[in-house]
Amino acid sequence: MIPASPMIPATALAAAFAFGALAAPAVARADEMPTFEVVAENGRFMPETIEVPANTRFRLQLTNRNAGPEEFETSAPFKELVVGPGVTRSTIFPPLKPGTYPFFGEFHHDTAKGRFVAK
Amino acid sequence: MGNAFFIVWRESVEAILIISILLAWIRTRGDTRIGVHHLWVGVAGGLALAGFLALAMLGMHGWLAAGALEMFQTAIMFVAAGLITHMVLWMRTHGRHLKRELESGLSNAAQSAGGASVAMLAAIAVGREGAETVLFLYGLAMEQSGDTLARLFAGAGIGFVLALATAWVILSGARWLPSRLFFRTSEIVLLLLAAALLVSGVERLIDMEWLPPLMEPVWDSSALLDDGSTAGGIAAAFAGYRAQPSLMVLIAWLGYWGVVTLLGRLQRRSAA
Repeated sequence: MIPASPMIPATALAAAFAFGALAAPAVARADEMPTFEVVAENGRFMPETIEVPANTRFRLQLTNRNAGPEEFETSAPFKELVVGPGVTRSTIFPPLKPGTYPFFGEFHHDTAKGRFVAK
Repeated sequence: MGNAFFIVWRESVEAILIISILLAWIRTRGDTRIGVHHLWVGVAGGLALAGFLALAMLGMHGWLAAGALEMFQTAIMFVAAGLITHMVLWMRTHGRHLKRELESGLSNAAQSAGGASVAMLAAIAVGREGAETVLFLYGLAMEQSGDTLARLFAGAGIGFVLALATAWVILSGARWLPSRLFFRTSEIVLLLLAAALLVSGVERLIDMEWLPPLMEPVWDSSALLDDGSTAGGIAAAFAGYRAQPSLMVLIAWLGYWGVVTLLGRLQRRSAA
């Protein structure tokens, strides 16, 4: 993780992007990022409880075996991932403090519920 | 039914609000260069874009297709943010001279760009929000049948009507504003919207690991306003609010306002 730097002047957008491009290769260590797989099926998520390491970025890989599309959503931190039937997509979560973070399927609000437990 | 109602309302209200702001803006300006027809062309294009995006997401097998779609959607956000900014700044300088230029018959080729911006913006607003609604309704049709399905579609219909009503309430409030204040407000709303699109785009780049988050979160204001809640979601969609922003997102947001302020100042100086 890159150490916190003091506030950067507001007009430094271009510089920030240039810096970002330079720093990107250091961050793009895809193999090192923990990945968790979730399957959406019959309007539910499997598994429903996912234990993730606290304070670590992780990748969520979602496979949708529902007949129709599903939208995986968490409200804190806010994330949305729309997945068509038979499709696998992934998204990256920011580091979570220890605690429980519920997620749900927007298109199957009553049945598709689960949680991340960050330890 | 409640589910269908809520999703359609939430998705439509954003698109309808953007369209109504543009509509009110065009009407108040009252010149013919940027016309209401530009807006409707944009809305029609947006419906087509929504269908295309939904189909692309449904048919998205394999990582290559997924990556290409992701890039396309991200590019759309940056293009939209740029278009809005250009339109607002352009209006600021030309709005003042517009009447005189029109009267003296000075036709400015650049002015047609304003109409194209409006059309593009409407298309992007409808396309982005519409794609999810299309997917959701498609899912309902696939998974439900008979009575349940009818009830769900009724819910979706009510959601859409309520979205229209919501926009109408907000806009009739805006009608009471003096036109100077209205312009000022709609400029700010449009620029906030551009900043929100930029934030979403940067987040997607972080997700694709093209940009590092630098530090996350910089703060956590989710106890105050959670961006997953309804009010927080509106603040997120219209102003780029994040309860737990990463430093990269914060830099992009502040940087955007820095650039806009700078461009505004340069314009004023050259106009003086």
